[in-house]
Amino acid sequence: MIKSRGSAELEASFTMIPPQPPGSLILIDWYRSADSKEYFNRIKNKKQRRRFGLLEAPVLPPHLSVDTVRYKVFISGKSGVGKTALAARLSGLDIPNMHYETTGIESTVVFWPVKLRDNGQVLFFRLQLWDCGENALRRFDHLLPSCKEQVDAILFLFSFTDRASFEDLSNQIARSSEPSDSVVKLIVGTKFDLFMHADVTDQDVRKFQEVWGLPVFRMGADVVGAFGEVAPLLNALAESLWHQDCMMVGAARPSPATGGPGPRPGV
Amino acid sequence: MCAMLQAGSLHLLCLTASSGVPLFSRGVSRQLPFSVIGSLNGVHMFGGGQGAVLSCCETDSGGRVVWKVFQESVMLIAVNGEQGGAVDDFQLRRLLENTWNCMVLVLGQDELVNARNVERLKRDLRSCYRLIDLFLEGAGDGMGDLTHCADCLLVPQPGPLQEALDTFTQASESEFGCLLVHGKVVVATEKWWRLAPQEVVLLSALVRTFSGSSSCDHPVFLPQGSPTVPLRLLRFQLLPGADLCVLCGPAPSLQTAESQLVARFWCPLVETLRGCLALSGRCLPGSVKLHGDVLGLLLINRESRRAVSTVTPGDTPPGRPRPARCRELLRLFYVFAATRYLGPEEAGVPGERRQGDPLEEDFTLGFSHQPLQCYLVTEECKLFGLQTPQHQLYLLMPVSVPTFALRSLATRTLSALTSSTGF
Ligand SMILES: Nc1nc2c(ncn2[C@@H]2O[C@H](COP(=O)(O)OP(=O)(O)OP(=O)(O)O)[C@@H](O)[C@H]2O)c(=O)[nH]1
Ligand SMILES: [Mg+2]
Repeated sequence: MIKSRGSAELEASFTMIPPQPPGSLILIDWYRSADSKEYFNRIKNKKQRRRFGLLEAPVLPPHLSVDTVRYKVFISGKSGVGKTALAARLSGLDIPNMHYETTGIESTVVFWPVKLRDNGQVLFFRLQLWDCGENALRRFDHLLPSCKEQVDAILFLFSFTDRASFEDLSNQIARSSEPSDSVVKLIVGTKFDLFMHADVTDQDVRKFQEVWGLPVFRMGADVVGAFGEVAPLLNALAESLWHQDCMMVGAARPSPATGGPGPRPGV
Repeated sequence: MCAMLQAGSLHLLCLTASSGVPLFSRGVSRQLPFSVIGSLNGVHMFGGGQGAVLSCCETDSGGRVVWKVFQESVMLIAVNGEQGGAVDDFQLRRLLENTWNCMVLVLGQDELVNARNVERLKRDLRSCYRLIDLFLEGAGDGMGDLTHCADCLLVPQPGPLQEALDTFTQASESEFGCLLVHGKVVVATEKWWRLAPQEVVLLSALVRTFSGSSSCDHPVFLPQGSPTVPLRLLRFQLLPGADLCVLCGPAPSLQTAESQLVARFWCPLVETLRGCLALSGRCLPGSVKLHGDVLGLLLINRESRRAVSTVTPGDTPPGRPRPARCRELLRLFYVFAATRYLGPEEAGVPGERRQGDPLEEDFTLGFSHQPLQCYLVTEECKLFGLQTPQHQLYLLMPVSVPTFALRSLATRTLSALTSSTGF
């Protein structure tokens, strides 16, 4: 793996963060259960995902009323790895079948209902995915700082069909985060469906995971629009963000009465 | 006459003007063979050597080619394949102008004119493809790509929207703000209307390319207003289909504008915005009643360089063209009438006879007077064009309307439209 200077130091600090086992804070299979239906129906429109403008949010009847928590998620990765495609996939939009470079920042809002394990509370996660074309980002200096401003999580993307994009990960991580920041970081390998052209092996991925201590997700199944394709990543993202918030609240007030942070007003 | 109203297939080539190095090629058909590209460049160069500028030509099989060099640095060539009888030089020239504008919008003029490294320019030009392809495909359901007038949507009560837009724009430290519904301008600030009409068309097209996302921060160069210094186009999708745009300098950040300003100014107007979305198929307020024989129309305000177009939606009775075809017929009739009789509206003094491109063989120069009306009868439909000092109206009607009644239907439609909307 090609590493930039200082990445050894970065790695060391990332491995210090104890990884929480998936499903320890939220019910990861909840989206499949019957009692989640009335929540998931709010983000569906017939068979497709419902689209929400900035002035809109899922409307729930009073007896189901839940809190919404808002987070900003930056999608980072080499041009052509599939950032725009991932944002479309997670939000249920049509996935571009052609690569048109993104010529600036485009953000997409995704609503995702989650059930907490300890108290059974349901929350709507409002994840705003920030996708910036890599070439635009290089050409215009103001775009990267804007993506990093008050960011809560970063998805670092590589493509299984492009080894250079995998080797670029350490640069991407160094560019967008500080070793000590409290930003949630996940790795997403795209185009996993194109295994015939795979340029990155399972072993590469395992080694990377050991060294960096960051979870790696594989994306790129056929698109049928079902939640099953996106649920593992969205749940992991939601859980990590919630975990991060709990730690922050915990640091400020050692024993939070509710066991988690309250909903944050508009971020 | 029918063959005249069929659209063909387009191909677009871009080369360096000095050495003829291909930069990109777009279009529906397969990539043109290199030898063809070479010849197209060669004949243009040959003309140049003889002190002649080759502007367009028609092939034996009915194809057309149009050349144009921009800023002495980039040559664009539009090729329309065989049997593309309906495509006029005018349409191809517009395509070249729009393509150049797309390139400037995304990359800025300096990079195009002073490119030091051709390979790098080639790579950078890829970022223009999405916008260029949109123009190749006809730029959505508007007509602005042809008319170079801003496609508008007329709402019954624009007052509250205009007010919200003006205050929002000011709060965003900008003077340039605009509200689009399905790519059509509903309201815009005074300064936005002072942008060159092609720029308004271009920015509306850019917003169409964002379709699904919630908000954007895009660096843009304005081909006339700011070709070398990038501005930021912030765009917020208030409701799916309703886009709010402002052109800003370095501040505010996308996040600040979105979290602190958007909801504050626009939440009270959600229902008004939904009302606009409901009109978007027609682009006219419900109170405007059109005669049952009007299948579609294009109305241009020559002074403000704004346009509104509509085609009758819904089920088509047998023998009448379907809505998509109506739109196509109106576009083709606009080109036909505007280039031969009424004169396309060029930026500059409105109402004045077109000075035009000195290279164009000017059909209208054959007239000693300015035609005010014209009509066209085909096996498919009847069309009437009408010009007043303030407006141009292009009207599409079924063949069943007697030809002698076209004029009065057109005059009545024009006065009904202008008196009820003040457009
Ligand atoms: N088969 C397959 N194709 C994918 C996948 N993800 C992305 N693609 C394709 O890869 C190409 C590039 O994807 P984009 O999402 O446009 O790339 P990007 O990262 O946004 O690139 P820039 O905007 O230039 O930075 C497109 O043609 C996508 O259809 C995937 O998981 N599987
Ligand atoms: Mg992209």
